Amino acid sequence: MNKVLRKTLKIVWVIGMLVLVVFMLYPFIYSFLGALNNKRDFGNMGTLLPIPKKAEFRNFLYAFSKTGIPPLINTFARTTWYTFWNVLVAIMLGYVMARYEFKGKKLFLIFIICSQVVPSVLTMIPSFVMMSKLPFFGGNNWMGMGGHGLINNPLVLYLPFGWGVLLWVFLFMQSMKSLPKDFEEAAEIDGCNFRLTLTKVVLPMQKPILAVIAANTALGTWNDWFTPFMYINRVKDSTLPAYIGMLATSLQEMSGDRDFPKLFGLSCISIIPPLLIFLFFQKYIIQGIASAGIKG
Amino acid sequence: MVMAGRQERVLTRKQRQSRRAYAVILPFFLYIAIWSLLPLVIGLLLGFTDFNALNGLPKWVGLKNFKTFFGSRDYIDLLIRQMWMGGLCLVANVVLSFLLALALNVKHPLRGFFRTSVYIPNIAAAAITSGVFIALLNPFNGGLNMFFKSLGMDPIIWNYSQFWMVFWIIVFFVWRSVGPAAIIWLGGLQSIDASLYEAAKVDGASKVQQVKYITIPGLRFISAYILLTGLIGVMQMFDVVMLISHGNPYGKTDVLMYRIYRDGVISFNMGMAGAASTVLGLVTVLIAFVAFFIISKGDNNE
Repeated sequence: MNKVLRKTLKIVWVIGMLVLVVFMLYPFIYSFLGALNNKRDFGNMGTLLPIPKKAEFRNFLYAFSKTGIPPLINTFARTTWYTFWNVLVAIMLGYVMARYEFKGKKLFLIFIICSQVVPSVLTMIPSFVMMSKLPFFGGNNWMGMGGHGLINNPLVLYLPFGWGVLLWVFLFMQSMKSLPKDFEEAAEIDGCNFRLTLTKVVLPMQKPILAVIAANTALGTWNDWFTPFMYINRVKDSTLPAYIGMLATSLQEMSGDRDFPKLFGLSCISIIPPLLIFLFFQKYIIQGIASAGIKG
Repeated sequence: MVMAGRQERVLTRKQRQSRRAYAVILPFFLYIAIWSLLPLVIGLLLGFTDFNALNGLPKWVGLKNFKTFFGSRDYIDLLIRQMWMGGLCLVANVVLSFLLALALNVKHPLRGFFRTSVYIPNIAAAAITSGVFIALLNPFNGGLNMFFKSLGMDPIIWNYSQFWMVFWIIVFFVWRSVGPAAIIWLGGLQSIDASLYEAAKVDGASKVQQVKYITIPGLRFISAYILLTGLIGVMQMFDVVMLISHGNPYGKTDVLMYRIYRDGVISFNMGMAGAASTVLGLVTVLIAFVAFFIISKGDNNE
């Protein structure tokens, strides 16, 4: 009797979870099917599953058209750039914080922890002001006047580097603390200098945490549609998710062209890289969230 | 002599270390400070100025912007709406993600697949997935209303109803963030020592008692983390509002953060945006502190 009950419970569980999975994935299925239509067919369709009469693949190719290519390249470039810097900074600062003794270390640690709970509202608008008044950029003089600074300037996607990285510094530091110092001391005795000790001894043993940092940063940067959306107007200098953001916010306006299939086609392309990152590095991404939760 | 020599070597090693540490940390710290610390300082000053970022210099106006903020119902209403709409999103997300974590905490070959699936909405940026909701919610030829029609029901004009817009904002918010929260809960559930449950079972504790005396105390830290970070997050939530409802109908789903964005980035009224940012930031910090105090006080009572 108990066995029968247990079995039915398990079946109920599986069915319930499958229903949930369908609900969670439904918007993606809808986007994909929607992208197969053309604009007019889709507009008249009004169903929960927009299955096309005749499938078109034109909408997926928008991402590779003359308008779509520059944002696509920008997104790749920006993701690579920030992933590289975040990993590098996390290693350097995290290593120093874990291994070296120096004055002000505790203060810096407090700074790291505090910086992670500062509400972003306190910096959003001031950052915008600062970018527009940055001296010597975008036609500004040394007072920050006369031009538009980094607004609409592609450099705004690469130059800023805030304290978001300090979370990864912290995690790398924690991970260094669980690694005995003996390895490094042995390497030093064998005549390794600082750089060799780091690259040949420490980093190979820290691969998991490096994967956590790289995967999470890559995912976060790719999906950061808001920064380019806020600072850049021209599609050419923007990123793909930000371009989709422009289209998505114009859906609400009467004057917008409301080309849903085009939007869905771009969305389907733009979700492929993060999906691949997630599927391949799932373990590390989940570990990153969980460890931020447990250690933070 | 020998002692002195050793001491000197220890000292120089220490000095070398701290010099190297500064050489690594300072450049990075200064660069990070430019992009993060400086805006924080500018932000505190901005609220006291009249500043149109398009032309001209900031002009010191004292408390004028703060008087506008607290003097008119507009901003106060937006602040209150930020709190209750954010609060609803947070509560829905915390409760549902906990239930989801309980459901995922079952040994089954399909568990990995389920866990991945519930996480996937979060790996797409909000801007990318909001289009689907807008297409479905179109009152005239949207998928949902046409579906209702085929069932013989009356269509609902979603866009004209505050209730339904708030409802869909919460659905979109929870749909995106329930996965990560569930994963954190799950990590907490699995970090509880299984032998505690065994011991409780031997002592004859019921399932309810096990949850009350083992699960809930064991999850105290995780729940504090989820609540606090969630709280700070929803007090600044506006991308969801911007994408799903644009603050409509008639600004009835508008929130303060969205207004700050529009004041600053669209109408370049930096002084007002700065003042509102300061208020919202301080309210957020205050609420987080109170929540933290309540949680840690509960901890001491145990």
